Amino acid sequence: MSLKTHLNSGINRSLSRLRLSVYIWLVLLFLALVALAPINSLLRSNLGHFYLPEKPLMPFEFNLVEVILANQQILTPYAGFLLTLMLLACLIFIFLSAGLFGRMLSPDPVVTFREFLADGARHFWKFILSLLAFLPFLAVFLILFQFLAAPLNWWSGRAVTEWPVIIASNLRLLILILLWTALKLLLDLARIIMLSGSKKVIPAYVSALLFLKHNFFGLWGLYLLLGLMVISISAFWLFLLRLFPAGTTPGVLALIIAGQVYIIFRVLARQVFIGVEYSYYLKRKGS
Amino acid sequence: MKRPYLEKTGRVFYLLLVLLLACGLKAASADRPVRFDLKVELLPETATLQGKGTIVWTNRTADYIPDIQFHLYWNAFKNELSTMAREARREKMISRYRVKKDEWGWIKLISLSTDSGLDLLPSASFISPDEPHNPDDQTVLRVELPEPLAPGQAITLNLEFQARVPGNGLRTGYYRDGFFIAQWFPKPGVYEEGRGWNCHEYHLNSEFYADFADYRVEITVPSRMVVGACGEEVDKRDDPATGKTTYTYVQQNIHDFAWTASPRFVKLERWFKGQEEVRPEEYRQMAALLGLEPEEIRLPDVRMILLIEKQHQKQAERHFRALRAALKYYGLWYGPYPYRTITMVDPPFRTGSGGMEYPTLFTAGTSVILEKDVLSPEQVIIHEFGHGYWYGLVANNEFEEAWLDEGINTYSTGRVSEVAYGPGRLPLRFNGLPLNWLLKTPAVYDWQLGRLVSATVAELDPIVTDSWKFYNSMSYSLNVYYRAATCLHTLERLLGEKIWARVMRTYHMRYRFRHPKTGDFIRVVNEVSGQDLTWFFQEFFYSANNFDYAIASVEIGLKPEKYRGVFDSLPTANSAWPAAPARGKPALKQEKIYQTTITLRRLGQARPGPGYSLKLRVDFEDGSSEWREWDGQGRWARFYFEKPARVKTAVLDPEAIWLVDSNFSNNSYSKTGPGARLMSATGKLVWFLQHLLLTFSGLV
Repeated sequence: MSLKTHLNSGINRSLSRLRLSVYIWLVLLFLALVALAPINSLLRSNLGHFYLPEKPLMPFEFNLVEVILANQQILTPYAGFLLTLMLLACLIFIFLSAGLFGRMLSPDPVVTFREFLADGARHFWKFILSLLAFLPFLAVFLILFQFLAAPLNWWSGRAVTEWPVIIASNLRLLILILLWTALKLLLDLARIIMLSGSKKVIPAYVSALLFLKHNFFGLWGLYLLLGLMVISISAFWLFLLRLFPAGTTPGVLALIIAGQVYIIFRVLARQVFIGVEYSYYLKRKGS
Repeated sequence: MKRPYLEKTGRVFYLLLVLLLACGLKAASADRPVRFDLKVELLPETATLQGKGTIVWTNRTADYIPDIQFHLYWNAFKNELSTMAREARREKMISRYRVKKDEWGWIKLISLSTDSGLDLLPSASFISPDEPHNPDDQTVLRVELPEPLAPGQAITLNLEFQARVPGNGLRTGYYRDGFFIAQWFPKPGVYEEGRGWNCHEYHLNSEFYADFADYRVEITVPSRMVVGACGEEVDKRDDPATGKTTYTYVQQNIHDFAWTASPRFVKLERWFKGQEEVRPEEYRQMAALLGLEPEEIRLPDVRMILLIEKQHQKQAERHFRALRAALKYYGLWYGPYPYRTITMVDPPFRTGSGGMEYPTLFTAGTSVILEKDVLSPEQVIIHEFGHGYWYGLVANNEFEEAWLDEGINTYSTGRVSEVAYGPGRLPLRFNGLPLNWLLKTPAVYDWQLGRLVSATVAELDPIVTDSWKFYNSMSYSLNVYYRAATCLHTLERLLGEKIWARVMRTYHMRYRFRHPKTGDFIRVVNEVSGQDLTWFFQEFFYSANNFDYAIASVEIGLKPEKYRGVFDSLPTANSAWPAAPARGKPALKQEKIYQTTITLRRLGQARPGPGYSLKLRVDFEDGSSEWREWDGQGRWARFYFEKPARVKTAVLDPEAIWLVDSNFSNNSYSKTGPGARLMSATGKLVWFLQHLLLTFSGLV
């Protein structure tokens, strides 16, 4: 099977279930709006009637900071609120992941919100367990990272110029990302096996490890390739967003819409990752 | 009450000052109480200094002085019990100063004797002059003299010392074979007549204070090293037998001496030519502003020396351009640079010595990757050079009134970079890599950022506070640098460009080679402006009061066509509502009249002084404008308008005079608000948060 086939299969599967991205995007939007509601209210009450002349005293961003600084007393309760929301979001995301995997792996391409929720509820507990089972791998990951980063630390620690420090620091980051993608691949695959093979958590991890024993580099390569594509498109997107005129209402509306389309793209990219991994797994599991 | 500036008196005064300056540094030499003649050898393998030499100290006061107090600054890095280490622990920064076993810094006097051979070491003891006392601190040494030093009497002290360069240095230090050496020798404190020695311990949040002196220093280092130091290099002797080179540096009338040595330096030189750098038109304009003749403000030529790390060599011209701008504007505004050389050091990598000033020498600091429109290293260069004026020449006590150099110099840095470069983009980096190509950050002036951050500490401490007595390091730095600079920007706007320019020049030239205090600055402000602005300093420098005025509400309503009730025909007093101005034609019967009430509030404790007020400008939809003034003394004030048009905008302090106002966002009203900008900001925040959540969701 060629690379193109796996990509096509993953992309087709994702596009046929595009609604999933929209559902998740809506939840993300809702959570973001809830998280920002207190700040938004503060900004609107302080700056709702603010007069912005043609030549302002300072960049408008500074006005936002000024308002926050003038109301520092809200920051501690707000941080508490955000923390609570993040904990709640953690559970919501596990639920969403369960729904996403459930629908992506379903042979039925028709996606309804009800089915999505049903899958989320059905697999929620399994997904929590899969996360708990993931923790030892995370510990191994950290140890491995320390081990691989040690020569870089030694190199930058002895440096007499800045270049080795910058290079080592970015190489460390690259190692961290590469290791993380490999680890994330394991988690995804375990969940795919858990759902498609109706296996329990530990057997699913064992199967995933066995599968990766023979197919790691192929699947990881695919994963990295997809990752690179997403990064390239994101960079291009961010660059495009700079071109929107920020001072006019139509420009701002276009900017907001483009930003939201990008978020949908990011969710869709996650779907494609799952789709490609599943396609690869299906084709290779027998061999 | 304002008085016009007395131009003629000013001219005569400046002429006298320039004549005094023209007499050169030599004329003042007799007034300097200290003379140093030091020899020092750097042993890089052990990071130690072997020093010896002579200090001649003259009692220029009318007091009989029984002792001499010395700073032994490097003992601050000796252990975790020094005053600096204790302060660092309190600030949870102690790990920054912890080092390997053999890297603690220290300084030890091996011998100290008078010219007659009397050993003074037995009478020496460490003291802790600052509160709270720390008996474990060894940064101030008191040496009792065999007999009190009479007025005018001099004492010659011969000394030998040994010192270890701190591996955990603050403003000084080393990394491998790169050294930056500052505060390295036993240095007498400042004796103040009637008050005794002013010789503080080394504090975490404080810099220094010393007498003007003449220095002659011989520095011996391995020949492979490139050396830079305060003053002028007058001699260089190679000793092939030992592989060492001895450099001799000489400088009169400076109050500190620092030097640096590293094999990775590239030494470059350029000239600042006063005739070429400043156009005749610029001389004329500046002279007119200062009330002087162009000849009186001509800038001298200065040799600019740059010691730059090889890795940054490509940025040399960027460094020189910034230094040229600084020499030009500080020179034009405050007075000509009086020394023949200025040495700019790109500090040796990892020596912890970047962004620091010494007379005729300063350290900057840069990165191998630079962005074009981010003003780094330019602002550091301008700032640290500027300290040559504010600290170097006008040598205030940095322990006790740090704002006099840091605040004035932060103000000056902002002004120079504004004129020479315009706004600079805020840096945005990740892992040492610039990201401005991807995410555009705002371009800002120094004062914009300064006033924003300084508002956070307005109520923590007064600006005039001993450096080690601030609430914390943040309060120290934001108060003495940024809040002080913001206050000076405010004062500039209150007084106007011309008077302010003359205030600053008068203060600088009057206190060159002297040790002024805040009171001296206030006296100059009052004298030159012809006003009593003491209230300004009481309010903003000696008190920790926030200044925040706001438009609390704007209420608009239609004037009723009829008022109900019982009215008689007796004349009434003037109404609080000003009548709508008469128009060319009689008002139509149907014309709507709007009654507007604008309420202003004082949210902070600080207030304008007598004779000063805040202006309110109200623009109406028919294109007309109205101005009101409020003395700001009460907690609130209400203004009434009656016009055939609605209010379009209302702005409190529309000319942005009171930059010290901690919150400008509550100073205005408009019917429509910022519209798209606020929507854009909240839209971006939502997007950013979604992005974060999405990334976070990938983890679970």
